[in-house]
Amino acid sequence: MGGLAHYIEGAGIPTVVISLIRRHTEVMKPPRGLFVPFELGRPFGAANEPNFQRRVLLDALKMLERTDGPILEDFPDTPPDTGIAEDITGWTCPVTLNGPNPDLSDMAKIILGLKQEVALLAPWYDETLKTMKGRRLDGLTTLSKEGIVDFLMAFVEDQSVASIVEGENLIRSLKLAADDLRHYYYQAAMAKPGIKSDVELGDWFYGETLAGWLFIKIRDIMLNSDDKDMKVAGRTNYVPNAMLKHVVQ
Amino acid sequence: MVYLDEMPEGPRNMIVNQELPDYEETRCVGGPPLSDRKIAIVTTAGLHRREDKHFTPGVGEYRIIPNEIDMDELIMSHVSTNFDRTGFYQDVNLVLPVERLKELSTEGQIGELSEYHYSFMGATPPAALAAVAEDLAKTLQNDGVNGVVLAGV
Repeated sequence: MGGLAHYIEGAGIPTVVISLIRRHTEVMKPPRGLFVPFELGRPFGAANEPNFQRRVLLDALKMLERTDGPILEDFPDTPPDTGIAEDITGWTCPVTLNGPNPDLSDMAKIILGLKQEVALLAPWYDETLKTMKGRRLDGLTTLSKEGIVDFLMAFVEDQSVASIVEGENLIRSLKLAADDLRHYYYQAAMAKPGIKSDVELGDWFYGETLAGWLFIKIRDIMLNSDDKDMKVAGRTNYVPNAMLKHVVQ
Repeated sequence: MVYLDEMPEGPRNMIVNQELPDYEETRCVGGPPLSDRKIAIVTTAGLHRREDKHFTPGVGEYRIIPNEIDMDELIMSHVSTNFDRTGFYQDVNLVLPVERLKELSTEGQIGELSEYHYSFMGATPPAALAAVAEDLAKTLQNDGVNGVVLAGV
């Protein structure tokens, strides 16, 4: 982000960076930066908090009028309490899933279990679609969720499987398909009232679902690959750092 | 939560202390008062319309987000797993606050919105962005944009 600021401002257009990692902005010294003490992924603070988002945006915009850079300011406030703390306690997924630790000797059973999970979540996914007025976060591929399960499991069984996402290599198509599946699970899990945190959903996904097991399995396979790009993808594409606690070492 | 402070030390250090390029100081460009400026937002959240091509890791590229599309149609093909997406699920303005910008324009706090906003995918080496960012700057200039908010994730 700091690099983009240098390139765009260097071409004559004033910029201001909203920074979530203060050290990066300190080092890269864009002309103007506003550090915000928010979660990664939330540059304007909190969802459905228009007044707070507006404060952040306006503070950043006002910095455009200054020319005494490089400037790094600190936004003074944390996001408003959205009631997350109360909602986290006792939150459970709307449906009870089979959970991880499958019998690895029977791949057909695992595939069946994954497809059962997908089916169990379907009404909750549909419910979330209604509450989100049709907005859906999956759709990175045109594959059905069952098709994604087949594709990802085919990779688990045979790493020479061909990409089935047009125009994408195997590593990227696996990632896009996996993200589609994860979006589906997360959106379904968000059907219950109350805001779920990323970590809470992650603990459910990686700790309690077969799909989470599958992500960890793909990570392991990729990390043990001789292919350099696949090793990198294994390290970065499937299990967030905060969820490595679910990976059996 | 994906607060850096709450991450285990090892993974946090990998993010915070990653190697970063050195830049010469870039002189701040002046301009008219905010109330006369045309503003665009540039995000690195890897957002794009469903029909757009996905982002490719390591490639300097951007997607155009027209001002008047239904922002709820945007999806995210960012490669990183290490930032919160639940906020974006609930409210796209948390990442790309076009609605807030429209409000500020209506109130006269800014002059106007750009017809287009732009999305890159973070986790792209900054050097790979140079040519495409300078090209984007020309487009922004031709569109009369004189203020850009750059928002990472």
